[in-house]
Amino acid sequence: MTALSGFLLSQWYDLRDLGNPVRALIDWINGWGDGTTFHWVGYIVAGLIGAAAIGLFLGIAMLSLIWIERKAVSRIQIRYGPNRTGPFGLLQPVADALKLMQKEALTPLAGDKIVFWLAPVVIFIPTLLVFGVLPFGPKMTAANISVAVLYIVAIGSATPLVIFMAGWSSNNKYSLLGAMRGIAMAISYEIPMVLSLLGVVLFTGHMDLNGIVQWQQKYHVWLIVLQPLAALTYFISASAELNRTPTDIAEAESEIVAGYHTEYSGMKFGLFYAVELGNALAVSGIWATLFFGGWWLFGLDRWIPAWLIFLGKMYILYGALIITRGTLPRLRIDQLLDFAWKFLLPLALVNVLVVALEVTIWQENGISAGIVLPVFAVVNILLSVVLVVGYVQSFGFARRQRPRRARLITDTLAAMPQ
Amino acid sequence: MTIQTEPFIVNIGPQHPSTHGVFRMRVVLDGEKIIDADMVVGYLHRSLEKLAEERTYTQNIPFTDRMDYLSAMSNNLGYCMAVEKLAGIRVPERGQYLRVIMAELQRIANHSMAIGTFINDCGAWQTPLMWMFAEREKILDLFEMTCGARLTCNYMRIGGVAFDIPDEFLPAVNGLLDDLPRKIDEYEKMLMENEILIARARGVGTIPRDLAISASLTGPMIRGCGIPFDIRKADPYAVYDRFDFAIPVGENGDSYDRFLVRMAELRESVKILKQAVPALPGGPYKVDVPLSIRPPIGDAYARVESPKGELGYYIVSDGGTAPYRFHVRAPSYINLSVLREMVIGASVADSIVSLGSIDIVIGEVDR
Amino acid sequence: MSGVGPVSAFYVLAVLSIGSALMVMAARSIIHAVLFLVLFFVSLAAMFVLLSADFVAVAQLLVYAGAIGVLVVFAILLTPSREQRGMETKFVGPGLLAGAVVAGTVIFIAFNTNWPTASNDFPSTVDAIGQALLNRWALPFEIASVLLIAAMIGAIVIVGGRGVDLDPGAAGPSARLVRRER
Repeated sequence: MTALSGFLLSQWYDLRDLGNPVRALIDWINGWGDGTTFHWVGYIVAGLIGAAAIGLFLGIAMLSLIWIERKAVSRIQIRYGPNRTGPFGLLQPVADALKLMQKEALTPLAGDKIVFWLAPVVIFIPTLLVFGVLPFGPKMTAANISVAVLYIVAIGSATPLVIFMAGWSSNNKYSLLGAMRGIAMAISYEIPMVLSLLGVVLFTGHMDLNGIVQWQQKYHVWLIVLQPLAALTYFISASAELNRTPTDIAEAESEIVAGYHTEYSGMKFGLFYAVELGNALAVSGIWATLFFGGWWLFGLDRWIPAWLIFLGKMYILYGALIITRGTLPRLRIDQLLDFAWKFLLPLALVNVLVVALEVTIWQENGISAGIVLPVFAVVNILLSVVLVVGYVQSFGFARRQRPRRARLITDTLAAMPQ
Repeated sequence: MTIQTEPFIVNIGPQHPSTHGVFRMRVVLDGEKIIDADMVVGYLHRSLEKLAEERTYTQNIPFTDRMDYLSAMSNNLGYCMAVEKLAGIRVPERGQYLRVIMAELQRIANHSMAIGTFINDCGAWQTPLMWMFAEREKILDLFEMTCGARLTCNYMRIGGVAFDIPDEFLPAVNGLLDDLPRKIDEYEKMLMENEILIARARGVGTIPRDLAISASLTGPMIRGCGIPFDIRKADPYAVYDRFDFAIPVGENGDSYDRFLVRMAELRESVKILKQAVPALPGGPYKVDVPLSIRPPIGDAYARVESPKGELGYYIVSDGGTAPYRFHVRAPSYINLSVLREMVIGASVADSIVSLGSIDIVIGEVDR
Repeated sequence: MSGVGPVSAFYVLAVLSIGSALMVMAARSIIHAVLFLVLFFVSLAAMFVLLSADFVAVAQLLVYAGAIGVLVVFAILLTPSREQRGMETKFVGPGLLAGAVVAGTVIFIAFNTNWPTASNDFPSTVDAIGQALLNRWALPFEIASVLLIAAMIGAIVIVGGRGVDLDPGAAGPSARLVRRER
């Protein structure tokens, strides 16, 4: 009966949270001998399981993302997309990977061979590490560290350096240009990103992701309702670092061929490609965790496995990234940096200020959450709409442009300038 | 204290995703800013002009297909008009109308491609290009229906066109014409108000009006500067004087204006087609001309408004079966000549947008 | 610190950090030196993790490995390459001497201080650091931030307004040289 009603009391066979079987296994190992001697075995086993799970998940996710991305983008572009390899082209990612592995991995003769070889390997590390702190379920975090939000930012800040390694060691001018662009963009967008995360941390009082999810569970609200500005600035600034189309200046295909990975071929290129997908998935995962309730779905998480909810949210939010990629042209680097400094940064600052005020009002006066949260939600949503629309109206290009259309001239001789 | 920066020489092309073929731009960069640029053409030189001196007048028609391979019909038309002018041949009405219909369809196809690749150069991820390709495909289907080829049509002949249109052509073209305005509306809504596109193309690659005139730019390049110069109006050929259409012009002469002009020209071409298709007369589509025609000694220059600008053919005849001299005034090549002025002082990203807005085809630039 | 795990981790990290610090000086290529410097920062961050100082570890990663590393890279790329080849410098002797003095001082202090022993249940450091910075040490914290802003504005004022002239004519001798050799 407990199985039917959805309360499995966290037994090892309770698959709603895959943390349960692991916990049971560790507990069993810890019980060996006199109950203390073999704790190190449990420690190692837990670590190995976490690492293997993340590796396996990322591998499968990347394969699926290649297919999803290609298929979705081709639907945007009125195409069929891959449909020859397997049913619905499902084996296309495998074919892609096999093709990349067969290709020769060239190394530029004048490049720095060690750094060149190291860059595609090292760039994988931040991606893997970010997934380590994402809560897939209440107990499904590989490493539930208390400073997870800051940790994510710190891990992400390592990527520009690896991009620089790749660009510099290629001894290619396109690569170097791409690397410089990537670094310039990454350090600009880090600031609004950190500030938007600061808003979340201030409001919830938690820095670990599971705590933030539980906060949303406790107050029965998604943080995007309470902090739309932070959600917007985080989404834009985090997706800016993903090198995807509106902001892919570091590997702008039409300008600098492939940017920092121009010289990479074969599976080395494949690694860069996979990392891009992995990072995009990580950003949508963080976005889902911070602003869309993570594994929590208004009580449905009691019946549906939490990790399924989280995966679903992650993939749905990934769809937002696909749509932006499929529809928008690329910004120029100065416009992109202007956007970070003149739009995202003020918005993020306003958000931090407003959140600090609201937290003070809430905490100091001890008003109950039921009254205060709806008010905050309305105020913040209105504020963000006003700010964004006001910005677009006063600084947007489309409003200022003149003429909207080409002038039509029938009498050409009369209209000819003298 | 001034920061000493070292100039950085980058070869953009000949193998580059957005040089539209094998065009090479050797730029000197200071950071991202281009301080000097040097254009190198000739990687696709096939000496078509020289080859043409060895072939008969009819045999030369396929060569013109291979110059601007995106608008083969217009190329055919200009060449055939030059030979007809030289030999004094009058083309029957039906032939003239078919030529205009094909040339305008070709203009729509070419501008679809030009707009699509231009936005691709602005950095869109293929989407506008694919959308535009959908329309272009339908036009290429029409060409295939008529002459069996999609890209290198070789449809025009000296004295008319090669074949009459098949029965299913007119319904298909009418269906397309009903469909196109709606599609163009959709594209305008999608692209013209796009904030990023405006940000990228507005004020980029601006050509001053006097430079445009002195560099003898033609086509959307000069119309983007606000000068309504169009051969179809300025020196009407075929039956263009019978149709009512307007010449779209831009205001500032920047890349965005050229894009607007191309967008509006799609609509004007539809307008011409809507007048030309119902008015298509009967009668012969071609006069009989000997295959190895021998025009009298002399020279002739005929020009048409190809989608890229003024496409002129200058042919000198020595009375033989082959032209003594065959020269093409290629609009892509002449429009490309201002690229250096457009890119100096701009960034790398802008230079690509400028190049994309010229709408060059390397086959025509290098010939 | 006890147990096989932490002790062996400590020695691995110690070797890694000292080795990479040595390689910063020994590397012939300045870019390699920077990369080793970043490796050193990362291993130091791992050392902080070993000490349960999670906030400090992450801050180390964020500020040093991320920001400072990138900053150094920028500085190197903005330096003309002829000034990057300065491996043989006359400051080798004084540099070694200064290094030895600093190292000696640190070792002396390390061995002569009565270090307090941390209790086993180590609390999360974030709360403690936050409380300390915003309550007891609020004034120094604010003063430091004002100082940093002043420094930043000063840097902008010094550099700004004196932009590099980018006209083709004034693009520097090498740009014109490029044009002439064609």
